[in-house]
Amino acid sequence: MVGGGAAVFDCDADDRLDVFVAGGEGPAGLYRNVSETAGGIQFEPVSGLDQTAVTGAYPLDVDSDGITDLMILRVGENHLMRGLGNCQFVNANSDWGFEGGDAWSTAFTATWEPGAKWPTLAIGNYLDREEEAFPWGSCTDNWLHRPNAKGTGFAPPAALKPSFCALSMLFSDWNGAGVRDLRISNDREYYKGGQEQLWHLPVGAEPQPYTEKEGWKRLKIWGMGIASRDLDADGSNELFLTSMADNKLQVLNKPADGQPVLPQYSDQAFKRGITAHRPYTGGDLRPSTAWHAQFEDVNNDGFADLFVAKGNVAQMPDFATNDPNNLLLQRADGTFFEAGALAGVASMKTGRGGAVADFNNDGMLDILVVNRWEAPQIWRNLGTNGQWVNISVVQSGSNRGAIGAWIELKTGEHLQRREITVGGGHVSGQWAPFHFGIGNAASAQVRIFWPDGTKSDWQEAKAGQVLTIKR
Amino acid sequence: MIRLTDKTLTRRALLLGAATSSALAAFSFPARAIDSNKATKVLDTWYKLLLELIRHTATYSPPVASRAFAYLGVTVFEAVASGNPDFRSMAGQVNGLAPVPPRDNAPYDEACILHGALVHSMNAHFGNTGPTGQRAMLAMTKKLDSLAAEGTAPEVVTRSMAYGLAVSEHILAWSANDGGAVIENMGFPFDYALTEGPAHWVPTSTVAVQQKPLLPNWGQNRPFTLPQGDLCGLPTPIDYSEDPTSTFYADAMDVYETSKSLTDDQKAIARFWSDDPMLSPTPPGHWVSIAMQIFERDATPLPLQVETLALLGMAIADGFIACWRSKYEVDLLRPITYIRRVIDPKWEPLLNTPPFPEFPSGHSSQSGAAAGVLAALFGTNFAFTDATHADDGLKPREFASFQAAAEEAAISRLYGGIHFRPAIDMGLKQGSCVAGYVLKVNTRA
Repeated sequence: MVGGGAAVFDCDADDRLDVFVAGGEGPAGLYRNVSETAGGIQFEPVSGLDQTAVTGAYPLDVDSDGITDLMILRVGENHLMRGLGNCQFVNANSDWGFEGGDAWSTAFTATWEPGAKWPTLAIGNYLDREEEAFPWGSCTDNWLHRPNAKGTGFAPPAALKPSFCALSMLFSDWNGAGVRDLRISNDREYYKGGQEQLWHLPVGAEPQPYTEKEGWKRLKIWGMGIASRDLDADGSNELFLTSMADNKLQVLNKPADGQPVLPQYSDQAFKRGITAHRPYTGGDLRPSTAWHAQFEDVNNDGFADLFVAKGNVAQMPDFATNDPNNLLLQRADGTFFEAGALAGVASMKTGRGGAVADFNNDGMLDILVVNRWEAPQIWRNLGTNGQWVNISVVQSGSNRGAIGAWIELKTGEHLQRREITVGGGHVSGQWAPFHFGIGNAASAQVRIFWPDGTKSDWQEAKAGQVLTIKR
Repeated sequence: MIRLTDKTLTRRALLLGAATSSALAAFSFPARAIDSNKATKVLDTWYKLLLELIRHTATYSPPVASRAFAYLGVTVFEAVASGNPDFRSMAGQVNGLAPVPPRDNAPYDEACILHGALVHSMNAHFGNTGPTGQRAMLAMTKKLDSLAAEGTAPEVVTRSMAYGLAVSEHILAWSANDGGAVIENMGFPFDYALTEGPAHWVPTSTVAVQQKPLLPNWGQNRPFTLPQGDLCGLPTPIDYSEDPTSTFYADAMDVYETSKSLTDDQKAIARFWSDDPMLSPTPPGHWVSIAMQIFERDATPLPLQVETLALLGMAIADGFIACWRSKYEVDLLRPITYIRRVIDPKWEPLLNTPPFPEFPSGHSSQSGAAAGVLAALFGTNFAFTDATHADDGLKPREFASFQAAAEEAAISRLYGGIHFRPAIDMGLKQGSCVAGYVLKVNTRA
């Protein structure tokens, strides 16, 4: 019903993005990318991760050893898999003190709290599976796995009360203040007294949800996925929240002079042509159901576009059955237009998770969608003339992937910013270089704002280059 | 405890035997035992699920919910009334309802009849609910199959379930052509021309599907009890004006200034009666919830329960039909539109403004109708506690009477900033008119 995600990362260090796909009631699968550069996209299965009851997965380097690990979310015990290299993994729950629990896990995000050697992991859980006749109001607790005091792994998880059936989570510096809070998008279908949530995560103290007194405003949606990007490079992320019928584009309200920034947003989805509330092709006029969403620049024009995977929950007759995925291209003025049919990605299958990533290293982002009941689909991008750069960011020590850093990229007067995060989407994550379209520019200037607030010097990235910035 | 502090002889008092007049002897129940406990358990369990399905089925906006409550209420009433000589069928009294099939001259079980009727009716009304709701109905059916059949001979179970099904089929056939059976696009028309002029409704949200108003033809549906010549219409409200000396401007300032000085209790009242679709059982479900809480508190006998559910259901349904007819005749703009245009462009009301015209207030109309019917059934000064939203974290509220609750529901729309005061006052009057017609239906033999 919910779940059905994918993890995209390079599991064999060949600079090609491999894919782990959830299987729901069937086995999950890991697929090695054997595509030729700029050629057709091809994968071959790799044994070892064919687990059952998998809802989704997120790649990250948990132990900071330079090899990507994999958080596998399940209906049942979650598995934190340590990467061994060459697409081999071992269950590290016991070694790392990670309690996998027993729930219907449907959301994940990770951050490194200041000074921590290990990440803090948040896991969102859905319904009580035993409550078949009256499932409403039976949302189970989300969990926060913080590092243990010894620095050898994780402490027992703490429940994030109240929990409201999370379907997407994201640690993010939502206001550009250098502090990463926990945003949770919740499914209003099942909670009672619930709403969207934002949690403080004070160092060494219990997490606390933002309150109305702190400016948090109630929002109740069928929250299913979070896509985050600082679309206007003003220092704060815009959030696209997927739901049923209308989706939201939350833009942080600017405070009056001298006033603090409050966690209050205006919804600009309608104004910017991004509600994606109904199929745009295929003749089905019923409202849509949106799941995974991701901002990426698919046409390399320097403006992040939006991909949304669509699909009916199951057989809800009031919602579209023929519900095509959206590919909404951003114009320079910040509005969007639908290009899904033109691009050929308007699949009518029952989409859930997905990824926008460059699977054949040709500098053009391809699209993966995990479908319910049917095989996943991948669309190879054939259609852009714009230039691009890819940026890899690496730290020594812990948090090698610099989760929480910001990348700034400048081409002439045009500035792009993106935060390095793990989480969001719909149970689908990526661990890959960060792609920027740069239009017709021959090069771009790039700098990093590291998680501790320090920043790198500007560096030049030439068009077509994969630039690694280290410290 | 029930407090009947007035001298009104209520239907409830009659059914409980509280009255001693010999003229009331005819209202005593037949000697044959009704396994009331089992039957009320079946009824209560299905109705609890009904409230959840109303909340979780996308087409169930408040008018649509009221329709379901009415037809389900009539179904359970007719199913029980057909075997109770003290009751009189509503066939021939409510618009278009023909007599339900009679029972055979054989033993029946009331719990099995109700279960058979509700299995069919619930699946018919909520065939479009999501997979969770479908699983819940299936699980509930299995659970209540066992409960209803407990201690009853198999042939009686079979006969009773079949009879309940027959009653449900009869009521559903009657419902099919009332104008409200098919809901597309969650009730929002694909095409709709807004009325020109500053006085009229315009969209108030940035939700794409709400750029057209909800169910503009709902007022044309066949009512249950309202006669063709009187749909409890309302006089035209005061003329639109932006003149600061006008009454219309004063009404808008009333909303504006109220919103600026809300007390904590007024905010709590606004939220308690907000009853948003998809986040609550809706305004009509709120009143059904009140009735169910009273049933549970007072162990209300089954006959009074089904009578209440039928009359209350028809009251809220006709309340919405009358209200919606008035709404689209007047087609008045919402306070948020006027206030931002004329008074304060940055004004934000406490509640989200519903996506349809303002006058009269739907909650007021249907609350007035519900209170009128419940007062006739239980008493005009019948005190109760309303914990409808306890699971959602809202504190229960105490009311001295149904009318007091209706008036609070009505004024909550002013506190919420979504209605002018005339829409509230006139809505309550419209509801009272509707209740008068509902109470003309004679449910007693």
